[in-house]
This record gives sequence, structure tokens and C-alpha cells, in this order.
Amino acid sequence: MPTKTIREEFVKGLWDENPIFRQLLGMCPTLAVTNAVINGFAMGLATSFVLIFSSVVVSSIKKLIPNQVRIASYIVIIATFVTMADRFLAAFFYPISKELGPYVPLIVVNCIILGRQEAFSSKNTVGRSLIDALGMSLGFVLALLILSSIREILGMGTFLGHQVMGSWFKPWIIMVLPPGAFITLGILLAIALQIERKTKSRR
Amino acid sequence: MSLSTRMVAVLTSVGLLSGGFLAGVGLLTKERIALNKQQEIEEKISAVVPGTYSIEKFYEEKDLTVYGGKDKEGKLIGLAIHASGMGFQDKITFMMGTNTSLTKIFSLAILEQTETPGLGAKVDDKKSFLRFWENKDCSSILTLRKPAASSPEELGTSEINTITGATITSEAILNTANSSLERVRQLIKEGKVSSEGQDAN
Amino acid sequence: MPDKKLILQSSPHFKDRDSVPKIMYAVIVSLAPAVIASLYFFRLRAVILLLACVIACVATEALFLWVRKRPFHSLYDGSAVITGILLALTLPPSLSLELAIIGAVVAIALGKQIFGGLGYNIFNPALVGRAFLQTAFTADMTTWIPSLTDKIDTATYATPLGLLKFQDAVAQGILTPLKNLFLGNTGGCLGETSALALILGGLFLLFRRVIDWRIPLGIFLSLTAFTGIFWIADPGKYASPLFHILAGGFLIGAFFMATDLVTSPLSPLGTWIYALGIGFTIGLIRLFGGFPEGVMYSILFMNAFVPLLNRYARPRILGERRKE
Repeated sequence: MPTKTIREEFVKGLWDENPIFRQLLGMCPTLAVTNAVINGFAMGLATSFVLIFSSVVVSSIKKLIPNQVRIASYIVIIATFVTMADRFLAAFFYPISKELGPYVPLIVVNCIILGRQEAFSSKNTVGRSLIDALGMSLGFVLALLILSSIREILGMGTFLGHQVMGSWFKPWIIMVLPPGAFITLGILLAIALQIERKTKSRR
Repeated sequence: MSLSTRMVAVLTSVGLLSGGFLAGVGLLTKERIALNKQQEIEEKISAVVPGTYSIEKFYEEKDLTVYGGKDKEGKLIGLAIHASGMGFQDKITFMMGTNTSLTKIFSLAILEQTETPGLGAKVDDKKSFLRFWENKDCSSILTLRKPAASSPEELGTSEINTITGATITSEAILNTANSSLERVRQLIKEGKVSSEGQDAN
Repeated sequence: MPDKKLILQSSPHFKDRDSVPKIMYAVIVSLAPAVIASLYFFRLRAVILLLACVIACVATEALFLWVRKRPFHSLYDGSAVITGILLALTLPPSLSLELAIIGAVVAIALGKQIFGGLGYNIFNPALVGRAFLQTAFTADMTTWIPSLTDKIDTATYATPLGLLKFQDAVAQGILTPLKNLFLGNTGGCLGETSALALILGGLFLLFRRVIDWRIPLGIFLSLTAFTGIFWIADPGKYASPLFHILAGGFLIGAFFMATDLVTSPLSPLGTWIYALGIGFTIGLIRLFGGFPEGVMYSILFMNAFVPLLNRYARPRILGERRKE
């Protein structure tokens, strides 16, 4: 039933079906850990790791899993990779793990991951699932990077911890607090919608 | 195979595989994670009790751990009090270094805090808060200077400066410090914490 | 106005000579005493902040109208000017110019235009701007200077409510005298220090029937009741209701912010619930919250309930049956 080329399968995650800007999935980590670029990036990578491996495993054993227990099986598989990511961060990137706190274990309930298993990996080949997961992951990481860059630059005057704004700049502390996440995401969504509308009317 | 047996079989094997896998990962990373945590605490102890060469843990209870800092000869040179208390947003955990007779605070270091950036979060800032804790007399109860003074010289010997705009956070730390000092004094009396040793000053 | 399709009030509909600009200019006139008082007490600082906020608000409004290809008509109705004046009056006199401008831009952009402009906003735009500044630059927004000066002194100075909250003013006997609160010779936001000036402006608005009398009265009643109970119970610890009425942003909030026609309920019952809720929340924050002052958050909080109140506290339409 492949209707898309491999390339389309990959690219769709970047914009047309971008998990954050178009599907509005995974809002919890998106809002919570994008207060600094390094946190957003680490979160993006951890989620990508879980998504990619879960997709590969689920698509390769999809025929073995009875329909009735598929969600339960997916959750166990996802939770396994999440725990691995969590332990790995705590062992080798202790400061980041401390900063992300409970949000790494919470990847388990990130809708992007379960959503891709249910909507894609359980119906497609291993290869296509991998491509799909890679595209979605990249879309997610990019979205988190955009959001966290805006928030860190305005909220702290820094980018990846380096001072980028001059000394005249007074950090807008609200941007690294929860309200800043909502305001930034809201504005970005409005822009994304506007771009989509413009490109659609042109088509 | 009937459907229900298949369901049970699949879920069990998925669960077993995942469990086994994680047990392996857990074993591999366990030591490393414990080491990370210990390292962080050791670093802070040496920071707040100057001249620490080795560390001994004396006592531990909820929200309070007392370490002793020893010099090269194994002589006790100070106590490091690892305490947490409720701040404005969430728990604040700090390490406070004192002399062995608990009459003087060497300095204070923050381990964990989630206070408001730019305000309460300044507790982790040397210039706005931590420097006002250096070399304080803690033989009597510590008090808070409100409104804030601009330099350490203006403060009394057991007076701590407020962070402007974050009175609640400053008070929270001060209260935790006072109550933990009181508790450690009691522990010394009960003989649970050793205070044998020589004061650095 | 291009959107004159919906009128959400039951009959009878009166047609009178009021129009949006006319109401808005009445509000501007009513703010004159407070503006004059702020100029007197804070001199040059007041001039700078007022001008900066008004200009930035009008410019942002114009920019949005241009981007959204709307007629510039609504620029002349004075609503952006009011937002600017109200915002400036709620700022600490020592605030720097660029922060005031950021607040003004946020007030119009996020508080008003994002929702679709005048008449569509849920929250009072000036308060949205102030709430943004309060969270973004908390330290600057809580630094105060004494009145009758335009010098910015680095020494900290507390507002009457700050003294009450953080320095136990009642027990220590350092509570600001009521006379100073009434005339305005005390620290605080530009336009909130002089109770007299605000009451004059408020009475003018009430007299002209620009604002609903239920709102200031309701807020007054519930704040008085709330703080009064505690004051009677322990006058050695709590300040009197009169102090709470005269200090801080109560008067400017009750007369000029909560009464915003767009963000207050339509029906009398809804208005009562809204007003009593604001007064109660102010008392709650001032007495038990982490902040010394709660007028801004109380009004924003109750603003959020206005759509709900409009739906459920709707007056019965003539002939409609009471629901069982």
C-alpha cells in the first residue's frame, strides 16, 4: 500500500505532519523542557532514540502481536527504551539528567511515540517505519530547537550558555518560565498556520 | 493456539525480554550513577569545609545528613550539613560548612533549587547571596537583614542578607539553616555526631 | 466598525448618543486627576513613562491594523491611548524606558490585537502588559522610590503594602498613615498613590454612567468584608479595611481596570459575581499570598470567567420560563 516515495515518507515529518507544529502532539516536553537549548536538544535526542528503536521493534514484530494486546505491548517496548535513555543520561550526562528531571521518564506517555506505533509502524515495513521515525524525530528536534532558542535567547540572553546579547539586554525572565513556553508556542503555531494557509492558497 | 493463550504468551515474553534487558542496563549504569551523585556531594563538602582531605558520614535522617571533613592527618576540621527545606517553589537543598563546635559558618553552597529565575534563583549566586554567608557567627540564632544591605560589612556577625524581591526564599533558607544547626547541636549532645577535632580558626 | 452584527443583550435596546470614542474620551478625562497627581509626585519620571507607554501602544496598534489590513478607524477611538495611560499609571516610577515600551507593546499585541482587536479581548490589555512585565522583570517591577522626587535611588524602599506584608508593619507600628495614602504622598506605582485623585476620576465616570456602579461597589464590599473579619479578629496583626481600600492598586483597579466594558460581564447578576470575586481574591492574595499586592492578578483572574458568566448569568428573556 505504499503511496509515498521514501523521500516523502521522511520529509513529511519536517513540515506537513510535523509532530509539534502540525499535529500538536507531545506538548508536555515541548512546553516543559525548552527553557534552554541544551535541555531542548537533549530531550529531542532522548525522544528520538526511543521513537526510532520502538518503531523498528514494533514494525518487526507487528505480526506476532495479537490486536487486543497491541497497545499494552507497545507501551512495554516504549517504556524499555525510555528507561534505557533515562539510565544512560543519569550515568553519562548527570547535569543534563538532573535538569530534565522527571521529563525523561515521562517520554513514555509522549503521544508522538505511541501515535507513530499505532498509526504507522504497526502497518508498515521495518524500512518505512525507520524512515518515518527518523523524519518525525528530526521534525521534533528541530521544533524543540526553535522553541528553546527563542526562549533561551530572550529569557537569559544566552545561546547554549554563551552570552549572545549585549550587556544592555535585560533578560525577559518570563520566557524561561512556564508562561513564556505558552506564549512562544502560541506565536509559533500562529506563524506556522499562516505559512500553511499561504502555501495552500498558492497551490 | 487459542487467542487468549497467544495474548498471554506475547505479553509475557515482551515483558520478560524487556525486564531482562533493563536489568542488564541497570547493572551496567548503577555504579556510575551512584558515583555521580557521590562526587557531587564530595565536591560541595570540600568547597564548604576548606582543607578537607577525606570525608566521613556521621548521621543521616530525612532532609538532614551530617558529614565530617577531615584533613590529611585524619583530624576532624569541620562539619558539612546537608539539609533541605521548603523554598518558595519547591525544596531547596544546600550544604553548609561549619567548624566542629558549630559556632562559625565557613560558607554555604546550593545543591538543588527550582526558585524563580532572576529572583529566588539568586540563592545560587555568589554575589547576591552566598557571599553573605561566609564566616558567620552561628553560636546564636541567625537573623535576616530586611531590607537588604548592599555589602557584607554592613551586616551583623550573625546577620544574613535578604535577596531583594525574594524575601520568602531568603527566609526559607535561613529557617532551614537555623533548625538544622539546632538539630546538629542536639545530635552532638546525643553523641551521634562527633565534634572531636580542632577548629580551623 | 465593520463587525456590527452581534449584540448580546436582551431587549429593550436603547439607542443613545454614546459611541466608542465618546466613552473612551470620557475615560481619558476621568484619568486626568490621577495623571496630574502622578506628575506632581514623580515629576519627570511620570512624564517619561506616560509618554513612552502611550506612544508605544498607539504605534503597536497602528502596526497591527496595517498588517491585518484593517481600517485605521479604531486608532482614533482612543482605546490604545487609554491602555497606554493605564499601563503607565500601574508602573513603578523607577522603571526604565525600554521596559515600559516592552510592556506597552505586549499589552496591545498579546493583550488585544491577537484576539482580534477592541471588543474581542478576554483580558484587560493594560493588565496583560503589566503582568508580563511583572513576571519578566520582577526585580525592576518591585523596586520603588519615595514620592516627590524623580531621582532613582538604589536604596530599597517599600510600598505601604510591602511594609505590611514583609515587615509586619502593624505589629511594628510602621504602617503608612492613612492621610498619606489618601493624598498620595507615599511610594507605589505612578498612578495608584493618590486615593483622592482616583476617587475624583471614578466619581466622574459613575456620574457620566460610563462604568457600571456595581463593579466598584461589589469589589469594595467583598474586600471590606474579607479584610474586616480578620481585622476585627486580630487588629494587632491585620490592617484595617480602610487601609486596604486606600493602599495599593485597589482604587485604580476598581474604577478603571475592572470596569473595562469589553472584559466585564453583561448582566447585573454576572457583574455582581465578577465584582465580589475580584474583591475576595484581592483580600486572599494580600493577606495570605506570596505577593504584597493582588489587584492585577485578581482582575485578570476574574476576566477569565467573564465569558462563562455571560453564558450562565444571562438575564431571562421576557416570557422565558424559569428552568426547573
